[in-house]
This record gives sequence, structure tokens and C-alpha cells, in this order.
Amino acid sequence: MDIDYTQEERQFQQQVRGFLDENLPRGNEMWSKRDAWFKSLQAQGGWDVPKWPAEFGGPGWTPVQHYIWDRETAGRSLPPVLPFGQVMLAPILMRYGSKEQQERFLPDIRANKVNWCQGYSEPGAGSDLASLKTRAVLSEDGSKYVVNGTKIWTTMGHMAQWMFCLTRTSSEGPKQEGITFLLINMKTPGITVKPIFTLGGSHHVNQVFFDNVEVPVENRVGEEGKGWTYAKGLLQHERSGIAGISRTLTALSKLKKNARSVRVGDRTLLDDSSYKRKLAETEIELRALEFAELRSLADAQQTGEPGTASSILKLKGTELQQRVQELTIEAAGPYALNAGFKEAGPKFSKMGMMMYLNGRAATVYGGCSEVQKDVIAKRVLGIKD
Amino acid sequence: MDFKFTEEQQMLRDSIQKFVREHYPADRVGARRKAFRKAPGFAEENWQQFADLGWLGVPFPEELGGIGGDLADVMVVMEELGKGLVVEPYFPTVVLFGSALMLGGNADQQQSLVPQLIEGKLRGTLAYMEEQARYELADVATTATARDGKYLLNGTKSLVLNADSADYLVVSARTGGDRTAREGITLFLVPADAEGVKRVDYPTIDVLRASEVSFENVAVGEDAILGSVGEGLALLEAISQRAILALGAESVGMMEMLYRDTTDYTSQRVQFEKPLAAFQSVKHRIVDMFVQTELTRSLLYRATMEVQGEHEDAPLDVHGLKHMVGKAGRFVGQSAVQLHGGMGQTEELRVGHYFIRLAAIDAQFGDTDYHLGRYTELMPIPEGEPDADLLPF
Repeated sequence: MDIDYTQEERQFQQQVRGFLDENLPRGNEMWSKRDAWFKSLQAQGGWDVPKWPAEFGGPGWTPVQHYIWDRETAGRSLPPVLPFGQVMLAPILMRYGSKEQQERFLPDIRANKVNWCQGYSEPGAGSDLASLKTRAVLSEDGSKYVVNGTKIWTTMGHMAQWMFCLTRTSSEGPKQEGITFLLINMKTPGITVKPIFTLGGSHHVNQVFFDNVEVPVENRVGEEGKGWTYAKGLLQHERSGIAGISRTLTALSKLKKNARSVRVGDRTLLDDSSYKRKLAETEIELRALEFAELRSLADAQQTGEPGTASSILKLKGTELQQRVQELTIEAAGPYALNAGFKEAGPKFSKMGMMMYLNGRAATVYGGCSEVQKDVIAKRVLGIKD
Repeated sequence: MDFKFTEEQQMLRDSIQKFVREHYPADRVGARRKAFRKAPGFAEENWQQFADLGWLGVPFPEELGGIGGDLADVMVVMEELGKGLVVEPYFPTVVLFGSALMLGGNADQQQSLVPQLIEGKLRGTLAYMEEQARYELADVATTATARDGKYLLNGTKSLVLNADSADYLVVSARTGGDRTAREGITLFLVPADAEGVKRVDYPTIDVLRASEVSFENVAVGEDAILGSVGEGLALLEAISQRAILALGAESVGMMEMLYRDTTDYTSQRVQFEKPLAAFQSVKHRIVDMFVQTELTRSLLYRATMEVQGEHEDAPLDVHGLKHMVGKAGRFVGQSAVQLHGGMGQTEELRVGHYFIRLAAIDAQFGDTDYHLGRYTELMPIPEGEPDADLLPF
């Protein structure tokens, strides 16, 4: 066992730092220099798509290199990339999509030209996703599917040009077996997107309605009825990202600075021992979880499987995100009331409550915590239902 | 970075598991432990087997007769001994006494004692705790007064593990400074049968052995000094770090057994026409036990490698580990006893014994609350202005 980076890993860390110092746009330039930033990433040899394998133009990093990249970028603000195309759909297309589909969709995903959204959950299919009912019927000539039904909690559905969608093509046999994976152009006639406003008034998620929406058969990924298998693999990609441990460590580090700026009498909140102990307790668990992630990466590197430690990442990672958010609004004190005004209270309070409210979703999406526990019980501990 | 266990570590693990299967079978744990309530509290023939199998030599260098292992090797040993609820005094002799010799001893002291220890012919322990000190290593009232080229030790040490079977005691005493001063503590190597050493021996709640040891004008020479005069606290802290890693490994081993035993028991026991484990409230609590165990294990690996590599975060993560061991150990132990129902309350099953041992471990070398406090003192606070940009979360 050895905790230290190898010579090569240290060099890589230096390379990443140097690259970020030189190329990462700051503050106001975040949007104006966005394209130059992506070009510079590409010029490094696939750093714009870090998770992609080398054969599809990714950098082919080792798990430890991924870890280094995450740690080095977590403390800085990067021009955001929505995960749906690059992180969630692309691995499915690479594995199960046709050559034509790969050539048609992957370049635009990589260039951030097309926004994707995910069409999974339905009003009647949340944790029990396989009970989904949105119906896709193949036309008699076999050229297209006709889709009817509705999807809900569609993040960024109002901004997306395309949706990857789970539809029901058969009601025979086990419910997991009649599901088909379709790629749907959001401009197709018959699609309506209605906003859903979440706690705090944000609009990220939507309900999408399908009324006789025609989808060409060449937009089906893989075989009819195999969509559940494809999606399950994808869910794992989603979950590994949701844990967000590096991001939470950064958030905690910011929280310490913010807490130090909060006056309590003639001292600061960081001198309050009961508050500081809460920070410490959270940090200890985060440092433990950070290492659980490393153990999982190491297992993946050796065996191709993420190992038992990985099962706790989403469950515990989202809990700790929420814990840091809670401690952030505690730090804001009376200014937890701040709903986004710059003028009132410490600056961080402007976003603190918003993060806290939006953050509640993390233990619900991507498989809620209760379902995660069922999955661990069954897969890791071998407990039968 | 490398998280693999080596082939040698795997062999070491296998050989301890084999010993445990033979000498500490799961169905006889209760009776076996009861039999050890009297001095010396373990089986001499087992100890000799530890020596013959090379386990006593794990952390010592080859030139002293050891196998030159590192802290990860000790971790493997302690984890497996913990799973087996083994009572032989590996922790006091190899971890406490051995660390004191290797971290503080000079060449003469090491050469005269370590080879005998490895052969199973000599045992030692650490007499550091005093009743008023609670968990503060620096709170030392025992005095060592220099007189005619000798030191006279006076005072009482408490809860000295396995002192009744030890040949040597490593004793912390004041050569200077007030009772709680960080300077002025010196460690001495004292033969257990030296004139003026008195012991009251007793079994502890986890069926191990401990003693109250008093020193009345116990005379030792300068050759008994471990490390430097007056600088014993740093040495005690380093020994304490290794103690925490070892107890952490033992705890993680036990926590794993607790969630496994609880899974098995609740999968077999049928109530209301189905196995208890099929009830979600039971199932989820077992998953919580597993999660806490994996978190603690992760921190154990982290802290072990950091101490081994003299990493700057080592003190921080050792405090974090002991905090976590206490908190998670309590949760996992209590949950196992709860989910075993009436059987969990008895001494027949091993879960109760794990539960007790975890409670005993929390009360040694600083409990969960103490180490949270120490962590809080060391917790890094980044420089810089407040940062209102909370995204991306």
C-alpha cells in the first residue's frame, strides 16, 4: 500500500495545474472565452471529454489521473458543461449505439453544440422506474415509432434539442423487458414542455408531454426491448458523478472562509466551538469518503469493477453535500432569509439558501437513498427480499 | 498510489484466520473468553505459536530478527485478531511496547530486548495513564527524581494493560515541569519486578487484563531512559498514533463481523412468516452498519498510509480515525445487539463480545469526543477572503 503519487502522477498533477493556470478563463471571461477554453482542452489530447475512452478521442486516463483532475478542478470555477450528453448518453452510444449513431451524435456532444435531456421518470414511475408507461408503437412499415405519454423531472428539458428516452414497446413478460431506448428530437411535432418550479422558485425541471410524436426507427439505440439493460449501465455513470466529493470538499473549504467572515460578538463564527465541531465532524466523514472513492477507483483499475466501497459513494456523498449546505445557512444566521439580494447580509448568504433548497433533490434523483439502501442490501450484502 | 494488499500480506491474513478458526471458533467464543478471566488472561502456548509463525516480528527490522513489515502489515494482523476476539497481548507487547522501543530506544536497548520479544520470551506494556489524566497524555503526576546517577520513580499508573504478564513497563514520569506541562516528561524502561513496583491486577470488562501499578522509590539507571530526557511527550504521542491505528484496525475487523453476523442472523430468523432481514427497517439498519464500516475502513487505510509515509495530514487523520472508530463502532455494535434481539443480550453469541470490546476501545487513547476536539484544533482553515460563489455544487 502506498498513499503517495508516483513520479508520473506528480508530473501529471503539475501539468494539470500549469494548464489550468494558463488557460482557465476567470470571472467575466467565463462566457466570452468559453470556446477558446474548450479548444485548449482539446489540444491537450481529449481533455475536453475526460471520461471518454481513447478510441473515441478521450485522454485514456488512469483512475488516479481522473482523481487528480477532479481534485485540481474542484477548487476552481470551470465553464459548465451539462452532463447529460457527454457523461450520461455518450457511454451508451459508444457501447450500444450503431456506427451511424456514433458518427451523427458524438461530435456535437463533444463540441457542446447540442443539449440533451434525460427522459426516464414518469408521474407513475419514480423509484420503480421499470413500471414506466410512455408508449412507443412501431408503425406498420417499420419506419418509425409513435410515442405517447409523459416524462417528468426532466432537467433542462426546456433548453434541450434532444432527449434520450425510455419507452414501453411491450407489456408482455417482466416489466424490465419491454423497454426501448429512443433518441427524440425535441422539435418534433406533438411535444409540449411545461415548467415545474421547485423549492425557492427555480426552473430547472419540466414535465414533457408526447402526443403522437413520430420518431424514426434509426433513432432507436440497440435492440427493441433492451433499453432497461442499457439504461442501468448509464445510471452507474450518473451515480458516480452525483457523489461529488471533490466539489463538497471545495464547498466546505469556502464555508470555512465564509464562517470566518461572520462576526459573533467580538469574535467570528469559526471561534464558536460547537459550530466548529460540526464542521470537523463533516470534514472527517468527507475525508473518509474521499478515500472510499480512491479505493473504488483502485478496484476499478485492477478488476474492471468498482468494488464494494463504490456502493456507498452516492448514498453518503449526497448526505454530506446536504450537510455542508445546512451548515452554510447556519453560518448565514438571520440572512438565511435572503432570497438572492446582494444588498442584505454577507455576500454568501445570497446563494446559501438557494443551494440548500435545491440540494434536497440530491438524495432523491439518480436513485433515492432508500432505493440505494435496497440495492446495497441485495447486491453487496446478499439480503433477499 | 497503490491500494493493493501484497501477496505476503494476504498470506499473513490467511495464517491468522487459520489460527482463529482452530483456537477461537465462533461457537465457543463466550466460553473461551470466560476461561481467560484469570491471570495471565491468555494461553502461553498460543503466544509461542505467534512467535513461531513470525507474527511477533511483523513491525521490527530484519537485523533485529523481525520481518521488516510496515504499518499496513500490523493493520492486517490487528484486523484479523479483532475478528477472532483474540486475547493474547499482541497490542500491549508488539504495538505499545514495541513502538516505544523502536521509536525511542537506542541501539543497545533495541538489541537487548527486541530479539527476545520476537522469540516470544519477553513481553512489555505501556504504563502511561493516571487517574486524574483522563485522555491527556501530558497529564503526568508520577515523578522521576535524579539522584546519584539514578532516577527514583514515585507515583501510580492506572489501567496498565497486561502488566501481570509483562517483563518490562515503559513508564512516563516527570523529570521536570508542572503536572500538565508539555515539557519535562521522560519515558523509562522499568523491569516489572523491580523493587518498589506494586501491582493490583484485575480483569477488564472486555475480558482482558489490566493493573494499577504503583512505584515507590523505584530506582533505575540512565540506561533506562527511552529517548531524550524531558521530551517524552512527543514519543508518547507517536506511540499513541500507532496505538490508534492498531485499535482502529481491530475495530474495523469487528465491525465487519458485526454486519456480517447480523445479516446472517436476521436472514435466518423468521418472525411474522418472513426473515427479519426482509423487513425494510431491519435491512436498512444493516446497510447503515455496512456504510459506517466502509467509511471507517477508508479512513483507517488513509491514516495508516499517512503515518507510514510521514505525511503532513497524518496527525489530522489519526484524530479523525479515532473519532470515527468511536462513533461508528458504537452505532454498529448497538445495532448488532439490537437486531439480534434477545440473543444479542447474551454472552453466547460473539456479537455481544464485539460490542463490549468496541466500547472498551472507545475508552482508550481518547474517545470519540476527545478526538473530535483535537481534530477541531488541527483542522486546516484556508487563507483568503470570503467566497460568495457557492457554485458549482
